[in-house]
Amino acid sequence: MNGNNHPADDGAGFGETELPEKQQETLKKAIRLEWITIGFLVVTVTLVFLVLGNSQAMKAAWIEDLLSFIPPIVFLVALRVARKKPNPTHPYGYHRSVGVGHLVAAVALVTMGTFLIIDSATGLIAAEHPSIGSVELFGQVFWLGWLMMGVMALIALPPVFIGRAKMKLARELHDKVLYADADMNKADWMTAVGSIVGVGGIGLGLWWADSAAALFIAGSILWDGLKNTRAAVEDLMDTRAMTFDDAKPHPIVHKVDEYLRSLDWVADAGSRARDQGHVFHIESFVVPRSRRKVSLSDLNEARDGCIALDWKVEDIVLVPVTELPRVVQESQPARV
Amino acid sequence: MNRRIRLRFAAVALVLAANLSGCASSIPADPEGTLDRVSGGTLRVGISPNGEWTDMSDGGEASGIEVALVEEFAESIEAEVAWVEGGEEKLFTQLHEGALDMVIGGFTDKTPWVNKAAITKPFTEVTTSKGLENHVMAAAMGENAFLLELEQFLLNQEGAP
Repeated sequence: MNGNNHPADDGAGFGETELPEKQQETLKKAIRLEWITIGFLVVTVTLVFLVLGNSQAMKAAWIEDLLSFIPPIVFLVALRVARKKPNPTHPYGYHRSVGVGHLVAAVALVTMGTFLIIDSATGLIAAEHPSIGSVELFGQVFWLGWLMMGVMALIALPPVFIGRAKMKLARELHDKVLYADADMNKADWMTAVGSIVGVGGIGLGLWWADSAAALFIAGSILWDGLKNTRAAVEDLMDTRAMTFDDAKPHPIVHKVDEYLRSLDWVADAGSRARDQGHVFHIESFVVPRSRRKVSLSDLNEARDGCIALDWKVEDIVLVPVTELPRVVQESQPARV
Repeated sequence: MNRRIRLRFAAVALVLAANLSGCASSIPADPEGTLDRVSGGTLRVGISPNGEWTDMSDGGEASGIEVALVEEFAESIEAEVAWVEGGEEKLFTQLHEGALDMVIGGFTDKTPWVNKAAITKPFTEVTTSKGLENHVMAAAMGENAFLLELEQFLLNQEGAP
């Protein structure tokens, strides 16, 4: 498991961790999906740019599409960086690249969301009436608004399916950038529908519908940004390891404790874990039954046993102590 | 976003889509009803004199390439043209305030008045000593039915790019 002898420079691992076969497959799928996403976005951004016109809602949707480039790129770059092995200057490896990428993407969303809210609200307050004229296509002259709505309807659904597929992979890989990306893709149809409502509103002579729709889209960008900033900061602050969607504490830490307690030389055990990105760094404190008799082979065996529990247990340190530290005791509400 | 909000959102979108398809012929509509008002009524046109494009005699007689175009357009919607002569700033302020329906003055697509008016698609290209010039007209902001009517008229002219 601990692949010291098998350098994982074929991209199938994270730092010292070599991925199990199933996860290697998942990782390949995720990489392929992210490239598909980028390809789809190139088409989307070009199409939307061509029909942008004077609609604020279309502008907001276009900026959201531009921002959607960030998570896949962050994912692919972070993956490359996280693959590097720990070395004297980076003794913990490069896993945190995921967290850094997550934070950068989140801050970009917050900034653009805020900018768009101000921009759209200004237009609404100044009662700017958006002008959308004609377009000539295949020898026909018609209202550009129809083309805008057509393009948005066309690009509304694919991201939803891509997002659903990514969500599954994010769970298996324990990758929070992939999760954030999938979450945003899944909600992407609302942006498209929002801009269709905005342009449709202009068509019906409701000039305010456009800015209102833009505000809705900008609000969703800002919301995504705030949610992700919070999650990224929490991870960089070494909050206890959570599941990929931050829904609950990650079960692996509890499993490690239980495994250690089941060993016959161990009286009690408690661990704290940091989520490094894909893998966890765990410090496990063990209280031996007899203070004098802790052999190196016992410790080694226990360590290997922990690593065998899950591929995410990459770097685990066992510390024999006479009494569990306070913080570890408090994090075990199940036991009294 | 929870399921109920999402459903409601989808419902609103559906109702809107039904509305849109139901009255496709009246889309786009003018927020201020310009096209309805000028059709069979009076088209208020601001004119800023500019060489062969637009000119105004001392007697208040408008002439020029664009004047002829506007008069033909007015005829197509059975409107009478009321000419208002002035400098560009004054005319564009009036257009923005809704006191005029459109402004002409030999403008090109490089016009700086984009925040005060809806600029039409170029209706003719002219090569001058400064290079290629795309000539446009200015309509009231956001009056999209009127803008579309005007652009369709202009694009059907001979010599339109």
